[in-house]
Amino acid sequence: MSRRETPELRLRLADAPAPGERRMVELGGHRIGLYRVGEDLHALADRCPHRGAPLCSSGRIATGIELRDGRPVLAEPDTLLRCPWHKWDFDIASGRCVVDPRLRVRRYAVRIDGDEVVVSLRHPAR
Amino acid sequence: MLVDCDIHVGYETVLDLAPYLDPATRELVVNCGTNGLGMPSYPWYHPTGWLRNDAFDRASAAVGAQLVGQTLDRVRANVLDPLGLAHGILTPDEAAAFSILPNGLLAAHLARAYNDWLLEQWLEPEPRLRGLIVVPAQHPEAAAAEIRRVGERDEFAGVFLPGAARIPYGSPVHDPIWRACDDLGLPVVVHTHFEGVGIAGPVTAAGYPDHYGEYHALCGSGMHGHFASILCHGILERYPRTGLMMMEGGLVGFVGLTWRLDTVWRACRPEMPYCVRPPSEYVFERVRFTTQPLEEPPDDALLAAALEGLHPWDTLCFSSDYPHWDYDEPRQTLNRLPAAWRDGVSHRNAERFFGLPAAIPA
Repeated sequence: MSRRETPELRLRLADAPAPGERRMVELGGHRIGLYRVGEDLHALADRCPHRGAPLCSSGRIATGIELRDGRPVLAEPDTLLRCPWHKWDFDIASGRCVVDPRLRVRRYAVRIDGDEVVVSLRHPAR
Repeated sequence: MLVDCDIHVGYETVLDLAPYLDPATRELVVNCGTNGLGMPSYPWYHPTGWLRNDAFDRASAAVGAQLVGQTLDRVRANVLDPLGLAHGILTPDEAAAFSILPNGLLAAHLARAYNDWLLEQWLEPEPRLRGLIVVPAQHPEAAAAEIRRVGERDEFAGVFLPGAARIPYGSPVHDPIWRACDDLGLPVVVHTHFEGVGIAGPVTAAGYPDHYGEYHALCGSGMHGHFASILCHGILERYPRTGLMMMEGGLVGFVGLTWRLDTVWRACRPEMPYCVRPPSEYVFERVRFTTQPLEEPPDDALLAAALEGLHPWDTLCFSSDYPHWDYDEPRQTLNRLPAAWRDGVSHRNAERFFGLPAAIPA
């Protein structure tokens, strides 16, 4: 039996989201949110691991507030994804929930191939 | 089969009630202040939003609107149809604040208009929905009159009282409300709302919390006050045809409170002669609790044991709190509870409490 190929989706690099933007795609029946943090693209499942909310399609990109030198300041902008229901924040790059480290959003591999972005149902390399 | 006991609906602004108001109150509501009457509201704001993001259109939100974009079509599309609800109980949003207005007569007119609005806009067009009668709790005689005015309509399943109050609901001051409910066989739902706002007492005796998060975790304390008051005054003994539902005040806290009330009842019976049995007996027979927000212990295995003191198989009823930010999805809620409780929690307990037609399996 031949090994089944992992489904992939290709879109033009020019159509990839800019930082602070989101693009929803569908691949093999999975709804996926595509995001950019800095130069890197990230693909996250449209399902909150807390209570199953539509995390990407209805959630909001957010900027955290952190303590620096004992004072609350804005963190790196647009690095968080905020759940539409219970408002828990997830780090877009790692998928980790920032208020409950036991939780992590399902992530998908994203790579650049020439002038295309390729999203697959594989887990990302790291 | 599912009954959702807590679906919030409301107008965008109180001015939407103008067509349902008597002319004199309409004149007042439309012309007072700068742009008409505003309602007292929380001094704390949820830092990331009151509502589920997917429950409203942010761009269409009117300035000052509390519960935006909440239409019957949206409730059908987001709740009734996808969850396959047999019935949904509609709870007020901003209209819960009528009871904390200083002016009880104004509150009575607003409550009457709201109930007529609810009937016309929501309950008459959608047979799966039932309403709770909003009353001016600070004016018990007027509240009783409103209960008697609309309480025989099948569309209303009970009477709504907010957790925020000037005087606990077991006090004899409120007897007209209980008498009207008893006469009509209607239960009372006490739902956490607006504690520490308007003419209501503070959230706790410690003084005002600084943060919305504190308020949200503490708002059950007001519910505890009503619970103890109603039980110790023997309300459920004196008014045997009514019942009590505690909505959105947490669950685990009521376990310890019920135990403490049984203990003090044994020692203090002479001062509470109308409470003729241990308070827990009334709780198991006549008090119901809604699930949301279901407490989240670090290990879900702790939850069932923590709740058993409430006899949840008989007393617990599912609620989602749609469209608020702390919405509980029904499958998630039911899967966190023992399988033996699910039939009661999902529909049976609520059907019995509200006198709803029993759901028929598909």
